[in-house]
Amino acid sequence: MKKATRKRKAKAKARKRGALRAAVWRFSLFLSGVVLGVGIPWLAWLDYRVTDEFEGRKWDLPSRVYARPLSIYPGRALTAQDLLSELDASGYRQLSGAGVAGTYDRSGGQFRVHRRSFTFDDALEPALELEIQLGAAGVTSVRRLDTGEAIDLERLDPAEIASIYPLHEEDRTLVSIAQVPDLLITGLQAVEDRQFKHHPGIDLRGIGRALLANIRAGKAVQGGSTLTQQLVKNYFLSSERTLVRKLNEAAMSLLLEWHYDKPEILEAYINEVYLGQQGSHGIHGFARASEFYFATPLAQLQPHQVALLVGMVKGASLYNPRRNPERALERRNQVLEVFAETGLLTATAKEQWQQRPLDVTRRPGASANRYPAFVELVKRQLRKVYREEDLRNRGLRIFTTLSPSDQARAEVAVKSGMGDLAARGLPESLQAAMVLADVSSGEIRALVGDASPGRAGFNRALDARRQVGSVIKPLVYLVALEHDSDFNLLTPIEDEPIQLRQPDGSLWAPKNYDGKSRGSVRLVDALTGSLNLATVRLGMRLGVQHLVAKLEQLGVEVDVEPVPATLLGAVELTPMEVAQAYQSIAAGGFTVPLRSVTAVQTPEGRTLQRYPLRMLPLERRDAIAVLNYALTRVVTEGTARNLPQLMGRDVRVAGKTGTTNERRDSWFVGYSRDRLAVTWVGRDDNGPAGVTGSNAAMRLWARLFSGLPAESVSLDMPEGAYWTWVELDPDARSDASCEGAVQWPFVSGSEPKSESPCLARLERSERKSFWRKWFDR
Amino acid sequence: MIDSRFWWVVLLGLLLSACTSPQPAPVEEREVTRRVRAPASEESAGVQVYPLQNPAVVQLMEQADDAERSGDYATAAVLLERALRIRPRDPEILQHMAEVKLQMDDFEQALSFAVRSYDIGPRVGEICARNWRTISVARDHLGDAGGSLEAEQRAGQCMNTRPPSL
Repeated sequence: MKKATRKRKAKAKARKRGALRAAVWRFSLFLSGVVLGVGIPWLAWLDYRVTDEFEGRKWDLPSRVYARPLSIYPGRALTAQDLLSELDASGYRQLSGAGVAGTYDRSGGQFRVHRRSFTFDDALEPALELEIQLGAAGVTSVRRLDTGEAIDLERLDPAEIASIYPLHEEDRTLVSIAQVPDLLITGLQAVEDRQFKHHPGIDLRGIGRALLANIRAGKAVQGGSTLTQQLVKNYFLSSERTLVRKLNEAAMSLLLEWHYDKPEILEAYINEVYLGQQGSHGIHGFARASEFYFATPLAQLQPHQVALLVGMVKGASLYNPRRNPERALERRNQVLEVFAETGLLTATAKEQWQQRPLDVTRRPGASANRYPAFVELVKRQLRKVYREEDLRNRGLRIFTTLSPSDQARAEVAVKSGMGDLAARGLPESLQAAMVLADVSSGEIRALVGDASPGRAGFNRALDARRQVGSVIKPLVYLVALEHDSDFNLLTPIEDEPIQLRQPDGSLWAPKNYDGKSRGSVRLVDALTGSLNLATVRLGMRLGVQHLVAKLEQLGVEVDVEPVPATLLGAVELTPMEVAQAYQSIAAGGFTVPLRSVTAVQTPEGRTLQRYPLRMLPLERRDAIAVLNYALTRVVTEGTARNLPQLMGRDVRVAGKTGTTNERRDSWFVGYSRDRLAVTWVGRDDNGPAGVTGSNAAMRLWARLFSGLPAESVSLDMPEGAYWTWVELDPDARSDASCEGAVQWPFVSGSEPKSESPCLARLERSERKSFWRKWFDR
Repeated sequence: MIDSRFWWVVLLGLLLSACTSPQPAPVEEREVTRRVRAPASEESAGVQVYPLQNPAVVQLMEQADDAERSGDYATAAVLLERALRIRPRDPEILQHMAEVKLQMDDFEQALSFAVRSYDIGPRVGEICARNWRTISVARDHLGDAGGSLEAEQRAGQCMNTRPPSL
């Protein structure tokens, strides 16, 4: 009985056990069904996302825009002020005796510059310590510090003047793991994830340690995230803290590790990690952070700089060295401590580096928009060739013509000049623009589009289309000089009142500036005095259509109506267009399209496109050379005669003032042998501004040229024109030895037909002496 | 079938590309030597009238020479442009650039640079002869036979004109 009940009980138990087992079985079947049905697709989905994202990871890289590199060679005109302004623009820091690339030291005229290595548009140049000696006239010697060898020619790495960002606003410079300094690779692991080499993506011991630490502290003080998890978090996930997200993160980390090896994951991390903010652009990756905080390539960082960046991983804004320098310094020194603990630095090295300041640059390498006017010109020139998205995403390296030191001078000239104009009683609301270009190459060296040069927005140098006034007159005189049988600089022309019927039927009666007419004047004096009546009469005699054609020949592509008022500059041009027209004249008749870009490269340094120097000779360079001389007389005797005193230096320049009706616009165009600048002053609403060419724009121009290196305009005549001696009133050819003889340039064939009595006498005696010699033989 | 034809095309392509691989012609056979430099040097009997170069320019000119000799005209042009940034009105650099442009078959620019060199150069001696010979070759290629002939005659006169300062 007992046995039987026992058996029954056992049977029941067994039945129960069987039922339990079946339930468990059924449950696990269900569970595996769930796992298979949900988990596997879920895993597969995560796996797909991980591999798809990682394989196809193509970061959008902003394009970098570089200034022209500063060439340094003995004999180069360069002031200490300009060298300092170039070094500052290139992010060099003054630091004595530190063998660190990107630093310089100065004692008097002697500069020690530790140039960074840089891939130029034509070659890679290594880092190099240079000793540059400056004298009163410029560079006197250049030496390598390592060998002491004298150097004929070197160049500094150019300033990064702007970035053209992707629309989603991430700023990044890509770096491959091979280019990353060892200390960053090992130091990053020492601080963030010591088990990185060994764990499969998640570090259970690390999580445990963090958990313990957090329990002990009663709050979250440590994170157990591996570098892999941090990368996954950055890559794929939002920052919400949920269990599902944690699970996803763990699974994706394991999958990432399963598919890819450690160096690949670390490389991605190093390029992805968020390390700061510049306006709306996030600074991503160590390479960009290095440029952003130190203006130095990652490979050239010093240990204390590496430590700062590694420390910033924990909180980029918390430890921002520019905004929270004390906290950043403390964090950096903690990190250096860890470097020493883990044997990456010796104790003495650690202490040395801990003594160092943060060594970050005062402002970011390419502060958001330091050169708005020039960069706008660069973008416009590039948009003709590149699609907007390629400019933003492809990481192009764009080499431009901007000279940071010239730009600095231009900005000071405009800013201080405008203050000066206000002090002279001109309205406060005046605006200004300035274009500075190289005469022979057409390269734009500086561009200012606003009276406050740093302000972005309406770019008057490119877009302010304003009447040019008398700035157009030299073109009328150029057409006259090309008519060499009728005109030379000395030809008398009429400066008498004139009335002309305009296309709309109204009568137009131009007046001279002072309301007077001068009767008969010499052509050159009509130009230098900017006489309206003489110019209109001359222009009507020649035909207005010639003036329109001349503008076109000089490279100005604007529709201009051939009406009489055009002769006095009732033509609307931008400062850039005026600069283009005068470039041809200043270069003796060689038209060169004004350029701001010289080359475009891929991020790897392969050249995609070059914009080489191209020029087109005009036909009548003889007449242009004669005109150039006349324009130097505008400065010595004409409407710009105050200029030499304003410039405060003795160098021959040529130029032309321009004023428009009711003193709305003030223009000045002027050039030395190698540099040309156009300045404009006026009001945005085109209202009367009380300005004339010489009371406003010329003053800004003088401020600019008072400090620029400048050589006198060449007065050599090309073939087809020559200098000769003449006597005036009556005009006749003469000789150097004749009393009252003066030298003037003429297009061949335009010189006076008659001989002066003195010249005739000389020629007779020369003929005699010729026969005498003949007989004396 | 298609496959074999395809491979023939590939093979042909390879052969053709071997023919057109950018091997610079030996120096003495190049047009710029034959038609510009050699006769100019002969005519002028070595009379050179241009100022001494500064060492920075000399360095760039030498590098440009090397690039030109190896047939890398693009690099030569970049180096000469750097030299022109230092000495924008140097007739020798301008003429050198003209000769490089000639070899790049950029005849319009060869003409422009040679004209500029002549305009601001000494207009006498060897460089004058090289100016006019370059102008002649460029005009020839641009289809201006008359202008080419005229320029060649001008090259011959470069030694007749007495330099004004001598």
